[in-house]
Amino acid sequence: MSCHEWSSCFDDFLDGRLDAAEEKGLQTHIAGCPSCAGELASIRELRDLAAALPRSLEPPRDLWPGIEARVSATKVVRGRFGRRAILAAAAAVVIVSSVVTAYFLGRSQAVMVTAEAPTVVESGPSDVLLASFEGLGVYNYLDTRTELLDALEARKHELSGETMEVVMDNLLLIDQAMDRIAEALGEDPENEFLMKQLAGAYRRQIDLLQRAVRMPAEI
Amino acid sequence: MATFPVSKPVPPRAAMRVASGEPESRENLVDRAASGEVDAFEELYRENAGRVYLLCLRMCGDPSLAEELAQEAFIRAWQKLGSFRGDSAFSTWLHRVTVNVVLGDRRSTARREAHVKPARDDFPVDLSASEPSPGRALDLERSIAALPDGARAVFVLHDVEGYRHKEIARLIGVAEGTSKAQLHRARKLLRKALAS
Repeated sequence: MSCHEWSSCFDDFLDGRLDAAEEKGLQTHIAGCPSCAGELASIRELRDLAAALPRSLEPPRDLWPGIEARVSATKVVRGRFGRRAILAAAAAVVIVSSVVTAYFLGRSQAVMVTAEAPTVVESGPSDVLLASFEGLGVYNYLDTRTELLDALEARKHELSGETMEVVMDNLLLIDQAMDRIAEALGEDPENEFLMKQLAGAYRRQIDLLQRAVRMPAEI
Repeated sequence: MATFPVSKPVPPRAAMRVASGEPESRENLVDRAASGEVDAFEELYRENAGRVYLLCLRMCGDPSLAEELAQEAFIRAWQKLGSFRGDSAFSTWLHRVTVNVVLGDRRSTARREAHVKPARDDFPVDLSASEPSPGRALDLERSIAALPDGARAVFVLHDVEGYRHKEIARLIGVAEGTSKAQLHRARKLLRKALAS
């Protein structure tokens, strides 16, 4: 290999990404090539200097007043991810595909199937769930969900308590189904059936929130 | 050169909350903030503002924009606190939220510049305490700020913050090979800048 070819391996070498044979070959070349040895030392010095840079710098002005003004004006919706709300909702359920559609077609005919013993669901999306969404090409799940929940919260005073309760219950059902699917995907990441189920649950959840946000005012 | 010294944070209101004088646990603070208590969130802000601001500054290279992004990162964190599972430290989670805010800003605005910007003379970091060579560190900060956006983001995440290419690729939405190429480009430009 030429010096140019060896130099293209320097980043990988320093980051520990070369296999043993490549690493040995590079070290042998470096031992006999002052030019490459100098270049490698220069990259290493840069990397070490960067790693030693400070990690904290107070902003030139206090940013809190601006943050406080906005967070105080924003009532945070704690749906699935609100710890208290989730701990209070202890029923574990299985999702049925008609649950959302049934509610919006027949309002009071929401189908909920309680199939298993109650389970307390931990709050927050798991890494596996988020990774699974990314596998589906969904990179903005949390943002989309948060935006829709914010929009729903803004309309809360126009919707009846019963409607809000049913919407949130259905949201929770879908969340719990997603958690189960994600858990299964953690053990079998390539399972197409599970990925389809997750994609379906995602669509139903976003559909539920979008429909709820667009519902005519009831109050 | 204008520098902003590391200032002492304003004592948070909640700092004296615990009668025993012991600081309130981080977990308790996060729980209170997640339930909507703004004073608890202020304490989390005070603890993390410096790190969030510097990360924003390094990744965007612009002090004014860094302030905006740091504010946005805390607001986003407030909105998403319910999704914090406690699997990692709060500061680690906040770090990731901040990275997403900065990268989201890059994607959603026309701030991306294809050319190498001139090095700033007023990079606002006091590096007098940096080891082993504060002069070299300052030169490096200025040179990082002058990198093209894509190369700068990857360099900061990889060489300063310790992210792996796989993770960077996922965050930025590019192939892992692109992340490696950007790092290679950044290192090359920085070595050239530091040698001149």
